[in-house]
Amino acid sequence: MRTDHAKRRLSRAIAAAACAAALSLPAQAASVPESNDPIVLAINEWTGQHVTTHIAGEILKRMGYNVEFVTASYTPQFAAIEAGDIAAALEIWEGTGSGEIFDKAVASGKAEDLGDLGLKEHQSFWYPLYVKELCSGLPDWKALNDCAEIFATPETAPKGRLVDFPLEWGGHNQDRLDALGINFVAVPAGSEGAIVTEIKSAVARKAPVLAMFWTPHWLFSEMEGEFVALPAYDDRCYEDASWGLNPDKTYDCDWDRGWIKKLAWAGLKDKWPAAHSMLKNLTIDNETQIDLIHAIDVDGKPVEEVTKAWVDANEAVWKPWTE
Amino acid sequence: MSLSGAIDPTPRAWSAARPATLAWIAIALLALLLYPLRATEPWLLAWPADLVPPIEPALDTAMAWFTDRFHLLFRALAALIRAPLEALRALLGWLPWLTVTVAAALIAHTAGGGRLALLAISTCLYIVLFGFWAPTMNTLSLVGVAVPIAVLLGLLLGVLAFRHPRFRRLLLPSLDVMQTIPALAYLIPFVLLFGYGPVVGLVASVIYACPPMIRNVMLGLERVPADVVESGVMAGCTRRQHLFWVRLPAAMPSVLVGINQAIMTTLSMVILAAIVGGYSDIGWQLLSTLRKSLFGQSLLAGLVIALIAILFDRVGQAFVEGGRARRAAQRRRSGRGRTMAVALAMLAGSLLLAALLPPLWVYPSGWYLDPGPLLNDAVTWFTVNYFFLTDAIKNAALFFVLFPLKIGLEGAVRPGFWGFSLTPLVSAIYAGLIASLALLAYRFWRWRGFGAVLGFGCLYYFGTTGTPWPLFTAVIVALAWQTGGPRLALFALAGMAFILIAGLWHRAMLTVQLCGAAVIVSFLIGSAIGILAARSDRFSRLIRPICDALQTMPQFVFLIPIMMVFLAGEFSAMLAVVLYAIVPPIRYMENGLRGVPAQSIEAARALGCSRRQLLWQVQIPLAMPEIMLGLNQTIVMALYMVVVAALVGDVGLGQLVYQGVGTASFGEGAIAGLGIAIIAMIADGILQSWSRRQAAARGRR
Repeated sequence: MRTDHAKRRLSRAIAAAACAAALSLPAQAASVPESNDPIVLAINEWTGQHVTTHIAGEILKRMGYNVEFVTASYTPQFAAIEAGDIAAALEIWEGTGSGEIFDKAVASGKAEDLGDLGLKEHQSFWYPLYVKELCSGLPDWKALNDCAEIFATPETAPKGRLVDFPLEWGGHNQDRLDALGINFVAVPAGSEGAIVTEIKSAVARKAPVLAMFWTPHWLFSEMEGEFVALPAYDDRCYEDASWGLNPDKTYDCDWDRGWIKKLAWAGLKDKWPAAHSMLKNLTIDNETQIDLIHAIDVDGKPVEEVTKAWVDANEAVWKPWTE
Repeated sequence: MSLSGAIDPTPRAWSAARPATLAWIAIALLALLLYPLRATEPWLLAWPADLVPPIEPALDTAMAWFTDRFHLLFRALAALIRAPLEALRALLGWLPWLTVTVAAALIAHTAGGGRLALLAISTCLYIVLFGFWAPTMNTLSLVGVAVPIAVLLGLLLGVLAFRHPRFRRLLLPSLDVMQTIPALAYLIPFVLLFGYGPVVGLVASVIYACPPMIRNVMLGLERVPADVVESGVMAGCTRRQHLFWVRLPAAMPSVLVGINQAIMTTLSMVILAAIVGGYSDIGWQLLSTLRKSLFGQSLLAGLVIALIAILFDRVGQAFVEGGRARRAAQRRRSGRGRTMAVALAMLAGSLLLAALLPPLWVYPSGWYLDPGPLLNDAVTWFTVNYFFLTDAIKNAALFFVLFPLKIGLEGAVRPGFWGFSLTPLVSAIYAGLIASLALLAYRFWRWRGFGAVLGFGCLYYFGTTGTPWPLFTAVIVALAWQTGGPRLALFALAGMAFILIAGLWHRAMLTVQLCGAAVIVSFLIGSAIGILAARSDRFSRLIRPICDALQTMPQFVFLIPIMMVFLAGEFSAMLAVVLYAIVPPIRYMENGLRGVPAQSIEAARALGCSRRQLLWQVQIPLAMPEIMLGLNQTIVMALYMVVVAALVGDVGLGQLVYQGVGTASFGEGAIAGLGIAIIAMIADGILQSWSRRQAAARGRR
């Protein structure tokens, strides 16, 4: 038992020496990689997630791991994580209706909740800045009623039109509008691309538009806008009809600020312990992500280059995560 | 006297139609009874939610049980498929683009000469110059593994079905289900069974590509000429020898057509592999650009699929058509060895050249052409400048077609757009209008015309969601009975009952509304284009590549410009469906009109027909079977597009399929998918039986 231990320690020391010599990495990375199998990280469809994942991957690589990025659609990736085909997905948004699948995956025992990513999401009714000139009184939500007409289309007239999330994302926006007495109809857009296209089309025509949207999103690196100031969210608001402005209805408040979390395969902890603890410590804030998104989507730089530069420049930030 | 002889009720048909007449009178009475009752009896419009049996959780449980038991088996199968996939991917990824281009050109040249080789080269150059080479090779490796599997399976099942009639009776209906259930509905269980990755999309493509192969193999085996079969018998073949040495070789042309169709369907389905992910292919690029709403880039990526599909199609056709001529030429054999040597030398030379000049091996990313932003600007420019026009078109379509079909005139007529509201007087005028139209129709088409006009009049006034389900079901079952007999009627009844009891009625009616409107629009516009194309060779040549592109281009591509111009909603959804479903009526109308025998036209001319009379009274009636087949295809394609339409804001059954994917619930997606398949199969059954009857009636004459 003891010799075994010593042997392992010796081999670790040798590995460490080799590592340190070859990569001039500190001795901290001595024990890693525990396995040379590639750590598979999920790449989803939006740039912000690419930034987060490539930063994590770059750090893991510098720790000595073999990292593989694989394109993964949002919902199917949960099954892949449970099966161990993917080691971790680093941006799971509660707000987009995935809280339930996330909980189910963790409850199965095959996936592990790695905690908050640190991004602060905000999703609510949003409009491009010029809309303020067309409907003075914004961002106060009470202003919406006075200019419902300019947001109306013949389909919704005389009510205004709110471009809503796809139905399958959930969200109770019509309930919210009714509870607050806002004279609007929520029209589901069908997909993220549809919402973005609606906004782009309206901005091109300088037409009034009110859409359900969220930050951080790459669109904000292209255009400016504001969220409507709805009555602040409270836990009681969704449950208790008597709470809030409308004594008879629930949802008479803003959206709940959902969490953004990291999810990993349950086997990650045993197979690559140091990688596990790094991913657990990993955080990113909105400003950092939006800056990098801007560099990629607006300046057209490749994501690998942008994230590598960030990792080079911010060793003080990520070094402690690896310890 | 009558316009279309087939419908002329001879005394015999009249006596046979008698019970049917009674049934239609009963349905009319049912309508009179049920429409007024809707206000007080809400269950007439939707099955009560608390009476919906728990099919969905039961399916989920069953699937979980099945996955637990058998997933190791499926995992092994997945590993078996993945091995050749990875090998092919590695090979295609390693080969220089120059070598692949040379190989493609050589194959195309063998099949169809210089022009095809040119098509192959320009396709490859397009892919290289616009920077799609690596993802295209990944897509091709998916196709390269999926097609052989589909072809082998298709051959095997086709031969089995040919030899064992009992197996065939089991197989044929399942082929319908395989082709009509949206693939998205089973992506989730496949991820659970096969594990994550491209194998899921590959298996989905195989499921979709198998049926045309099976059908063509069966068709080919059945149609082997009697003298060929006899000669085999005379030569003393055993059953097995007979099959493999006589029938299969004789059925080869059909089999080749099947392979061609398998390739085309696979190409249209591999895009779905991207919805699961795990593979950086063209489909993934498309989905990413759709999410970012980048029209230009997604059009460029979509063109890759369209070009490859057209290339494969042309090369395949050239092989089928040129088969006989080539076999004759091969008998001479003289130049064959030399051609082979030249080809090998060219391939080796291209490898060497690429090794010397690295840009010929991997094209540098700095040299890519990217007209994407330019295309985006063009769409934006159009949106800004012509929004007033497109908005007017959209509103007209919404208020005159889509809304009335959904909620009926009773819900859609609002002073805001129509200029008046639906007072009893207006309703009475509408009723009078419909009644006189029905009488007019009676003059031309007798009771069928009368009934059809009344039926559509009711639908337009009350809408699909405002029509009580007992009435709707009765009409469909009666139609099924009249065209296809009791078996089809029973199937229609069972299918409608499933939709109702599973709680899908309202959603299904939204889907019927969307597809119904899209089919009407596609059929009218498509037929008009088809008539023009049949008259002018130049117009035909112009329209053909557009049709090819519309049908082979992944449908996601058109969603962005449609939404940019028309915004999310029902009209955009309808337009997306129309763009895909408009191709069959164009093609079948043109082929039908062009296929009318020359002597019929000459005879009509000799009688002094004008051009219009010739078209309406000779050509179209004679081309009716083809036109009906085109209508049938239009409906099937429209239903196929329902799932894509959900991406731009349709809330029918297609959206429910997405909900199933979004919540990773097998049951929800499967039930909705089955609902779409049922609607497609009922419509398909009724129209096919009808056109069969018409063709038979014509044959008797």
